[in-house]
Amino acid sequence: MLDRLTISMRASHVIALTFFAVALCFALIATLLGDTFYMRLASEALIFGGLALSVDFLLGFVGQLSLGQALYFGIGAYASALVLMQVPSFWLALGGAILAVLVSSLIGGLIVNRVRGIYFALITFGLAQVAAKVVYNTRELGASDGIIGIPVININLLFFSFSAANPLAFFLFVLAIIMGFYLLAAWLLETPAGRAMIAIRANEQRVAFLGYSVRNVRLGAYVFAAMIAGVSGALYPVLRGFVSPELMYFATSGNAVIAAIVGGVGTLIGAIIGSILIVGAKSVIGSWTEHHVIFIGILFMAVVLFMPKGIFGFIRERIEMRMIRKASAPTEAKTSDETGVAGKQA
Amino acid sequence: MKKLATTLAAAGAMLAMAPAAPVYAQEPIKIGVVTPLSGSYASIGRTVRWGFELAAEEINSAGGINGRKLVLLFEDEEANPAVAVQKAERLLQVEKVDFLTGTVNSASTLAVGLLGERNNRLVSTTVSYADSITGDRCSPNVFRFNARAEQQSVALAAWLKKEKPQAKLYLVGPDYEMGRSTVAAFKRSAESVNIKSIGEIFAPLDSKDYSQYFGQIRSARPDVIYTSTAGNDTVRLLTQMQEFNMLRNVLVIGAAGAITGQNIKALGKAAEGFVTGIGYSAQIDTPENKKFVAAFNAKFKEDPDLFAADSYGMLYAYKAAAEKAGSTDTDKMREALRNLTWMTPQGQKTIRAGDHQAMSPMFAVRIENGQFKIVSTIPAAEAIGPDVCTRF
Amino acid sequence: MIDADYLQFILAPQVINGLVLGVAIVLVALGLTIIFGLLDVINMSHGEFYAIGAFGALALASVGLNFWVILVLVPILMIPLAVLVERLLISRVFSTKDRHVTTLLLTFGLALIAEDVLKIIFGPNTHRPDTPISGATEIFGIIIPNYRMFLIGIGSLIIGAVAYTVYGTRLGAMVRAAAYDRNMAASLGVPVRLVYTGAFAFGVALAGIAGALLAPLYSVFPTMGRDFILLAFTVVIVGGMGSIWGALVAGLVLSQVQALASLFIPPVWTEPIVFATMIVFLMFRPQGLFGKIGHA
Repeated sequence: MLDRLTISMRASHVIALTFFAVALCFALIATLLGDTFYMRLASEALIFGGLALSVDFLLGFVGQLSLGQALYFGIGAYASALVLMQVPSFWLALGGAILAVLVSSLIGGLIVNRVRGIYFALITFGLAQVAAKVVYNTRELGASDGIIGIPVININLLFFSFSAANPLAFFLFVLAIIMGFYLLAAWLLETPAGRAMIAIRANEQRVAFLGYSVRNVRLGAYVFAAMIAGVSGALYPVLRGFVSPELMYFATSGNAVIAAIVGGVGTLIGAIIGSILIVGAKSVIGSWTEHHVIFIGILFMAVVLFMPKGIFGFIRERIEMRMIRKASAPTEAKTSDETGVAGKQA
Repeated sequence: MKKLATTLAAAGAMLAMAPAAPVYAQEPIKIGVVTPLSGSYASIGRTVRWGFELAAEEINSAGGINGRKLVLLFEDEEANPAVAVQKAERLLQVEKVDFLTGTVNSASTLAVGLLGERNNRLVSTTVSYADSITGDRCSPNVFRFNARAEQQSVALAAWLKKEKPQAKLYLVGPDYEMGRSTVAAFKRSAESVNIKSIGEIFAPLDSKDYSQYFGQIRSARPDVIYTSTAGNDTVRLLTQMQEFNMLRNVLVIGAAGAITGQNIKALGKAAEGFVTGIGYSAQIDTPENKKFVAAFNAKFKEDPDLFAADSYGMLYAYKAAAEKAGSTDTDKMREALRNLTWMTPQGQKTIRAGDHQAMSPMFAVRIENGQFKIVSTIPAAEAIGPDVCTRF
Repeated sequence: MIDADYLQFILAPQVINGLVLGVAIVLVALGLTIIFGLLDVINMSHGEFYAIGAFGALALASVGLNFWVILVLVPILMIPLAVLVERLLISRVFSTKDRHVTTLLLTFGLALIAEDVLKIIFGPNTHRPDTPISGATEIFGIIIPNYRMFLIGIGSLIIGAVAYTVYGTRLGAMVRAAAYDRNMAASLGVPVRLVYTGAFAFGVALAGIAGALLAPLYSVFPTMGRDFILLAFTVVIVGGMGSIWGALVAGLVLSQVQALASLFIPPVWTEPIVFATMIVFLMFRPQGLFGKIGHA
């Protein structure tokens, strides 16, 4: 029996699969045309897409708006950069980033999860600001200049290795990781623990009745989202060869929120595509005029006002309707009943 | 969209009808300018852009470089190194520019410099003055056409020694990498000419109110105050000092970026008497500069500032080097730029081969009636300081 | 340690400077807290309204208007803008499920646009109107600029007038009722919709006055809205969202903490400390010192 969430996730998968195919076509065409820039720009957009995915996971399913998710993106990036400056090993850098993000998000989670709703937005914002200031003022971390000159590394996969400077290989690698995150998040939401996370949004007490500790579920969701942001961040210095405190600033967090909202809150895949749309739009409009912020601002406000489900939320709804219509007619009454109940949760 | 297209078409038609436009046989030379056009450094990016535009226009109407037209491609880096690198990469790989320049904050310059190395292209800055760029973080692909912090502080300290040998110096700076290193550089230069510094204070960047530090400054009783603040920070620092009657018996001096065309109007009377060591003043009395100032004024209705002059001068260096090299190939250009001597509005400049730092005559200038008046000149060789670059 | 010199040059001026900064912050935070208390809207564009007030004052001064006229005109001119924003943006999403988040996002988008529009109109350079009251007074060797003394005076007047309006008048009673329970207030005949629009306009007008008053002190440039907003948010949270007394007390105390702390620790760390205060309050006392308007 399919409930609303499963149908929604399946519709998301349709979009994700289409996106994956388009991304592969893009890689093919770009390689044939000998392009390197757009491939690397797309890799960067995907990396920031991971950050947007992390924002969407918290906002779309647990119902918590984080205005400081760049904190974990930055911690992942800095940890990875610090390791890479010493040892040119991607897996060691990744391990370092995961460890740093795990520890910091456990501490951060204990702090921010004391509050809910609008206060959650403010406290995540404040926490990221404090951390960014600390990095900015710490000489050992390069202070305002950041860490520059991270060497180009070879990434060893089990049977072969490739250089991070190879645009095609690195793009495919990033694509695999970010799509992996998407699948992981989608899978997690279908597990009982994931259901409990979603249930928090609708009714916290009910989660307690189900035998879950509300605190642990919230903390788990927060740490999971931080991990996505942190590992995405760990990829950044591998691509760009440097990190700077700006990666932790509100501008970075804000862009991720914009990407998630424009793409479609609660769709997971929308956040990733949204990030690519925003990076692409900024790149194109930025070449015309320095007043690109206005365009992004208007687009963002228009989506909030007129398309609250976001671009891919809107598209997904169309796909869902088709799926429901297709789903066997005999059980129709039952399905719509389910939809009614579960719809409140999703 | 349609309107934009019509405008573009109209502009194209006008260009086509321009009378003396030379005909270029070959591919144009593309210079990428990655500079902050939005955000808190937008005003610097604007004059950088103007300096380049004026020079490109002049060079093109005189036949271009090696018979090739010069084309400028601007990108907004938002004073954020992450954006700068992305935009620079677009210019390098999509537009295939021959040369990159324009970055303002030192983090952006260093990050774009690294990108230049990886893409085998030359990169330059005409604004960043952090010593590290041509010092311990120098790169064979990075050139600096403006004066670095040390040149500025040597010039200023030499003037101070002459005017006030007994000065009791107090130093104020914004608390970040650049602010601290600039203060440290001036302190070194001052101490090397036996001027005593009696205290220093670092305020956070973008401080609203500097008056909270005035007590500490006043209790030290200095007669010279040096500041390495810039932009809005200088406006707040000096106008608040004026409010508290602190400018009366104190001489205020500072880094070259402290007072520029961006903030001098807002400073008003509080800027009067301020002295700085700088690589340019619109008041320089040479035919080259007079011509530059007149042309700049005619085009942009403003006097050029340091950033505009250094950017303008850079394109002429590029022209001279490209003509010497006979091509725009990276290795040939690097060779041609090393030890290049060329003419700029501020006089002859030379690129030192050892660290790719431009050696330029330096000036101590004082603000009088809103104008930067030159009070002393230091020859290029005396201000340049040692070459500490060990990478090439 | 505490000799006369220390007291005269350092401690006393620091306390007075803290007071000026405190009044400035309270002026900005007042509008923010009123808007939150009544509409439950986190106004992310409040800093930009402050900047618009400052630029408005600058533009009016450039056509030759007198400072006192400007001080009255700026808030009046801000009102139609605020009404427009409230009616076209905020009220549109007011009945949606996630209105807290939605209004936050809308005002965030508005802030992005407003900052860029200011840059298009006025250019990126810094401006500064002349200080309308010049000179400084020396009291026991402590120098206090006259305009800052005036600022403390007029700031206190404005804060007092706002507090009186909210807590001491019939209009204020209606406002508090609407904040306490919207439906009950509506059934008692309070024009809730009008009260909301009015409160939003009032808060924005206050930000405008703050911009006009502080422009000679802190100068005027397009990104100036980011200046106060973080501190103002902290003040609002510590004081209790929507509480006027809370904003007053928290604003004055936090600005003193910031001013005095900078004597003992490197000043760059004062800002993280203020933020840390906000975080600690959110963790242990999210309702702030005084709780919400209408509830206390």
